[in-house]
Formats: sequence, C-alpha cells, structure tokens
Amino acid sequence: MSEPILQVRELRKIYHSRKRGDTLAVDGVGFAVEPGEVVGLLGPNGAGKTTTIKCLCTLIRPTSGEITINGADAIRRPKAAVEYVSAVLEGNRNIYWRLNVRENLEFFAGLQGIPMRRIQGYINELIELFHLESKVKTPARMLSRGMQQKLAVACALVKRTPLLLLDEPTLGLDVEISHELRGILKGMAARGERTILLSSHDMNVVQDVCGRVIVINDGRVITDDRVANLLELFRARAYTVELSGLLSPQDAERLQEQFELIQISPDTSRTKVEVELLRNGQLYELIELLHRSGVRIESIGRRDPNLEEIFLKIIAGKES
Amino acid sequence: MRAAVLFKAVSKKYLVYLKRYYFNTLSGMVSVFMIFLIVFYGAKALGAGAPQFGQTLDGLVVGFIVWAFAIFAYSELSWDLINEAQQGTLEQLYMSPLGFRSVILSQLVVAFFYQLVVLGVLLLLMMASTGKWLHIDLLSLLPLLALSVAGVYGIGFVMGGLALVFKQVQSAFQILQFVFIVLIAAPLDKFPFAKYLPLSWGTHLIGQVMIGGRSITQIPTGDLLLLLANAAFYFLGGLLVFKLLENAARNRGLLGHY
Repeated sequence: MSEPILQVRELRKIYHSRKRGDTLAVDGVGFAVEPGEVVGLLGPNGAGKTTTIKCLCTLIRPTSGEITINGADAIRRPKAAVEYVSAVLEGNRNIYWRLNVRENLEFFAGLQGIPMRRIQGYINELIELFHLESKVKTPARMLSRGMQQKLAVACALVKRTPLLLLDEPTLGLDVEISHELRGILKGMAARGERTILLSSHDMNVVQDVCGRVIVINDGRVITDDRVANLLELFRARAYTVELSGLLSPQDAERLQEQFELIQISPDTSRTKVEVELLRNGQLYELIELLHRSGVRIESIGRRDPNLEEIFLKIIAGKES
Repeated sequence: MRAAVLFKAVSKKYLVYLKRYYFNTLSGMVSVFMIFLIVFYGAKALGAGAPQFGQTLDGLVVGFIVWAFAIFAYSELSWDLINEAQQGTLEQLYMSPLGFRSVILSQLVVAFFYQLVVLGVLLLLMMASTGKWLHIDLLSLLPLLALSVAGVYGIGFVMGGLALVFKQVQSAFQILQFVFIVLIAAPLDKFPFAKYLPLSWGTHLIGQVMIGGRSITQIPTGDLLLLLANAAFYFLGGLLVFKLLENAARNRGLLGHY
C-alpha cells in the first residue's frame, strides 16, 4: 500500500472559554487517507467535523495530536502543509464577489504562486468542466448560488493540490446543480486525480461519491469503513416482508418488542413490514410470529438500505 | 519568483476592485478634498491677521496630506482584514503556501503606490485651490512618507489582529483616526516626547522638505535615523502583536469567523 497522503493521529482540540468553561470538540481522532481515495466525513451537528477539517487546513491549532499532509507536518510547519491542500469551507463564501469567474480562478492560482502561463490551459479546462463558459466575465455576485458554489470548488481545484477538503459542498444547492457537482467529483474520483475528504449532511452525495466513510460523534471516530461494506452489512440483515391482511395491534406490538423494526406500513388490506434481523434464526422467529397472527406472507426479500439509515443507526449507538 | 506571482495576483485583484468600486474611490477623494477646504478656509478665517499665520497654513496643508495618507493606509489594512473575514475569503488567504503576511504585505505595497497617485492629485488640487504652492521633491518625500506611515501600518496590524480575536472593534477604529490628528498636529517644541510616537516626527521632517525646501540629504542623519527607528519599532511591533493575536485566533478557532 502506498504512503497515506493524509495521516491524522490522536487529534484533540479543547476550546477554552472563561464564560462556558472547556469544550472538548475533538477527542483523539485518528485516520489515514490513501492517494486517490474519496472519503466522506460524517457526523451530526457539533460532532467535531468542521473543527477537524479546519485543523487539517491549519486554520485551527489543535491542542495535541499529529497531522501529516503529503509528509509535511501541518502543525509545526503549516506553510509547508498548505502546499498540498486546498479547501472549500463555506460553500459559496470562499470567492471574491466583485471578481468575475476567470479573475477568481486566476487570483486563487496566484495565491498558490502558480504563474499564469502555466495555469491558463487548466483554467480553461475547469471553466468547461463546471459549465461556466457563458459566465466567464460575470462577477461572482451576479451568479446563481449553485454557480457560485461550483466556482468555489473550481477555485480550490485550480491550486492543483493533491488533497482537496470539501465542507458541505452541496449545501443549499438545488437538485440539478447538486447532481452536476456530484458528477464532477465522481469523475475526478474515478480518474484518481485528487484525494478528496468530503463532509456533508447529504447522504446521497456521500453514498454516490465516496468510497469510504469516517463517522465522527462526540469528537471521536466511531466508524471507519468502506461504503460498500457498510451497505452489505446492513443489506444482509434488513428484510422486507409483504403480508396480505392487517396485523392486529397486539401482533404489531409483539413485533416491535421482539425485532428491530425499521417500519410497519399498513395499507387498506395489506401490510409491509421492514425489519432488521440481528442474529441467526430470527428469520424463523419472524415467520412463526406472522404465521400465528393469521396473515398470509406474500413475499420476503432483502431490503436495500441506504447510507442515511446506516448513519442514523451508527449514531444512535446501535453499531460501532 | 513565486512571491512575484503572488504580488502580481494581489495587484491585479486590487486594481479590479478599484475599477469595480470606482464610485466609492471617487467619492472618497471628493470628500477628503471637501474636508480639506472646510478645514483650510475655516482656519484661515479664524487666524487671519495673526503673525506667521501663512506658515501655519502651509503646515496645515502638509499635516492634512499626511493625515489623509495615514487614514488611507490604516483603513486599507484593518478594514480589509474585516472585509475578508466577512466575505469568507480570509481563510483562503491563510491557506496560501507563501504565507498570509506575504499576501498582506503585497497588498500594502500596491495600496501605497495607489495612494501616492491619489494623494498626489489631491495635493495638487489643494495647492491650486489655496494658492499655497509647496516644494515637491519626490526623491526626498517618498522615503519620508513611507517611513512616516510605516508606524500607522503597525497600528493597523494591531487593530486588524484585535478584530480577528474580538470582532467588534469598529468604534476603536474610528477613534484612532482622531488620534492621528493629534499626533500630526502635536507641536514638538512643546511636547518633545511626541517624536517617539508614530507620525509626529515624520510629519515634522516632511514639513522641512515641503515648507522649508530642504532635500533629504540636508536633513541631519540623526533625525533620519530617529525616523527609521520609529518606523521600524511601530511596524515590527505591530506585526509582532498581530502574530500573537493571530495565534490566539487560531487557538480559539476564530480565524475567519465574523
């Protein structure tokens, strides 16, 4: 395996405040990201995602721990580390609203010390990739929110750093632009052009784009696994049973007591039961219970879970 | 080489902003000129007939132009930091591998030359409208002006750093503009210690060139060294305080929040 491009070890951040006392925002976070990986950083609000990302950007100094970006120590030598990392931190707020699309891209390349003659070709590529051709001379403030957000991502890409950090890149975007941005990120991921660490509340984005997820809660990493593994794990346990007839309230209650119910959806004459089976043999117990209740089983099938459900379960502490 | 690329990028952005905010730029110049006319003719009406008053009016022109330069320089730095933080771009500047200070110093250099042109035009207008034609020896004035405002940049760094940590410091910003008037107008014969403060000594030496018609080579070396030491002390001191406040902002996670 190649050397990780990003290595985080035992990262801790405590905010001191005279009024509110100490707040432990990040509590021993550790993970590594290999070159070319696209990793989702998930967690509920206040879990420590943004603090972690800002520590990686060298914008927040951690209380302790280690961060190495492409071999550079991001805590002791932040200037060397930012050579390899760019970030979109607040959606559409990372660009200059009075500069037009091309001027923004040129400025951010200059900020990285890249001469114009070496970057013009790539700037043109980015303008094309993000479908901003017709807006090249439009000041950023005149663009739609979606276009501003695309421009912010393009401005991060123009720096040509191997590692890209995206904090909520699709927040507030309409479905169409969100899909377009996802497509661009997926394309980059497929080509292995960049290593991306992406934080988002939109699980569709994460499931669509990321190969691996790291879930943080209360400042700690509680899950670090491949998306496919998590989906498979839950797929093996989640079943949908379709019944003709309705369950009595007592039977429904029994189901709830004995099984990990995802949902019971009664119709006028049918019932759909979605259930998660946590141990071997539970399927037989389920069939037995349904048999006793007098309803007829029409079909039983594996249920495809989505990342959002898995995430909620992980956060609820049911999985780790 | 990379520093030159950064300087070029920062200069271009500065000029584009000037162009896009041209009304702001123009109205700023007009209002400074109007304030000058009010101050000048007000002083003239009040002091008419007093002995050596003509020289005082010359001093007023010099003091006013140094004050205007100081205000521009100071606002450039401290307001810019706040604006960058408000629009969410400050964090991006901090992520430049060339360092945030290189970015900000590049901007100060561009702004200095721009202000030189603007205030040069203003000075001509001021001299033409008042009939007070002063000596404009650019080779002598440029270094004196740069060293005089260096202290103001130092104060700008301190205020900018305070804004990073404490955010709501705008009222202090405005008060300082009046403190600059006191520093420029302080008579050094009555308050000799004022020469150790920013602006006072520089304004005094600029006066020697513009009113007295001396060249920089005719100013005693000791006087020039005092100005150099004063400029270095306040500029570097300001940078140091800025660094400390920036560290505090980094530790508290406040960089970029506004």
